[in-house]
Amino acid sequence: MRILPLGLILIFIVACNSSKKPDEAAFLEGLDSAEVEGPAISEEVISSIIQQIPSPLEISVLLKESGTKYDRALLNSPDNISKYNSNYRKALNLGIYGTDLGYTNIYEQNQDGIEYMSSIKELADNLSIGQFFDIETIGRLATNSKNLDSLLLITTQNFNNINKYLQEQKRANLSVLSLTGGWLEAMHITCEVSKKNPSNKDLKETIGEQKIILDNVVQLLSFYKESDPNMASLLNDMEKLQKEYESVEIIKTYQESTFEIVDGVMVIKDNSTSEIKITDENVENIRSIITSIRKKIIS
Amino acid sequence: MKKAIYSIFVVGLFFLFSGHANGQCNPEQYTDACIPKLASGFNFLKSYKIDGQGGAKTKVEYSYVFTKGTQYMINVCATGSSTDGIVVSLYDSNRNQVATSKVNGQYISAIAYPCNTTGIYYIQYTFDNSTQFCGGSALGFKR
Repeated sequence: MRILPLGLILIFIVACNSSKKPDEAAFLEGLDSAEVEGPAISEEVISSIIQQIPSPLEISVLLKESGTKYDRALLNSPDNISKYNSNYRKALNLGIYGTDLGYTNIYEQNQDGIEYMSSIKELADNLSIGQFFDIETIGRLATNSKNLDSLLLITTQNFNNINKYLQEQKRANLSVLSLTGGWLEAMHITCEVSKKNPSNKDLKETIGEQKIILDNVVQLLSFYKESDPNMASLLNDMEKLQKEYESVEIIKTYQESTFEIVDGVMVIKDNSTSEIKITDENVENIRSIITSIRKKIIS
Repeated sequence: MKKAIYSIFVVGLFFLFSGHANGQCNPEQYTDACIPKLASGFNFLKSYKIDGQGGAKTKVEYSYVFTKGTQYMINVCATGSSTDGIVVSLYDSNRNQVATSKVNGQYISAIAYPCNTTGIYYIQYTFDNSTQFCGGSALGFKR
């Protein structure tokens, strides 16, 4: 019979523990809502759109594969960091520097990479997300180009973890800004490289197919237009870009895929195709708008 | 009175242990194992948690924009060396099925997809006679 009071105590302890988590969540929520009024849309919807946005690293690999030479002059200077004095500007430039770091990594420009990592760490610290960067480990990897795979893996994981953490902490607005900055920088580099290589069809197509990503970015920013004037202003700029993209066409033709198994991996043969219709004038106008938006962000 | 207290105790224990059963899935260990299993030449992009909540969820879905001219690899890791009945299926933006990892009753642990059509793709994980309803997955790319 002595087990009964013991059991009740046990249930009581479990009940107390299980009620602790919502309290903590409510506390954190309270802290965050004090900073930014939340969007009208659910965090789950925002997270599901955020996760669709591809990594800017894909564009850096495309640039390298196309034979384009490394050009540091295309990137935002790591020394500009002192200009970024609000969470809005810090989060946008965190994304910009993240893309620049990926670009230096892909081109194995490790010394430049260390400078970007240092600026990223400082911005992240200011946004209370600096715990995701172990500068010592990254610096050690960056000193040897043989460690490139590990360096890319760690930096990609860090940015993924930051995005997840910000969403969990109900600070998805910062995640949206970081992704927007990262995407803008990748677009800027691609447009500038395309300007120098106007005959490169792959680059033009890459610029054209960003219409899909831009729609996502615009949608994400629109969730904050009522609660955040900075994001509303950025949305306005992005909508101008979206207007230019209206005449860019993506034509898809679906055909069932086939597959074969090679060494335990299912290799799909995609029989569908897509064609991207974009003019030189479109590319130049997109480049011009991107330059203008980026200038506002990095200056 | 004693009977009532005993009932509360039994019910309490039931909730305690059922809660533990649902909380047992630790997808991180599987995502961590999956990333190094991406084939050589593929760059890591994303890891996905597959938590079927002990069978309460029938599918887990993520989405990502795939780009024409890029090859993607999706792999699945679960307990042991098997996929524990976890099936990954890929759908295009119009919900046409592009691939599924279950073929002739066999569960394939990795899909390589050279993309010809830029657009949003849905990566769906389902459970087919799964014992743990728990796993992880990694997405990588190469040009």
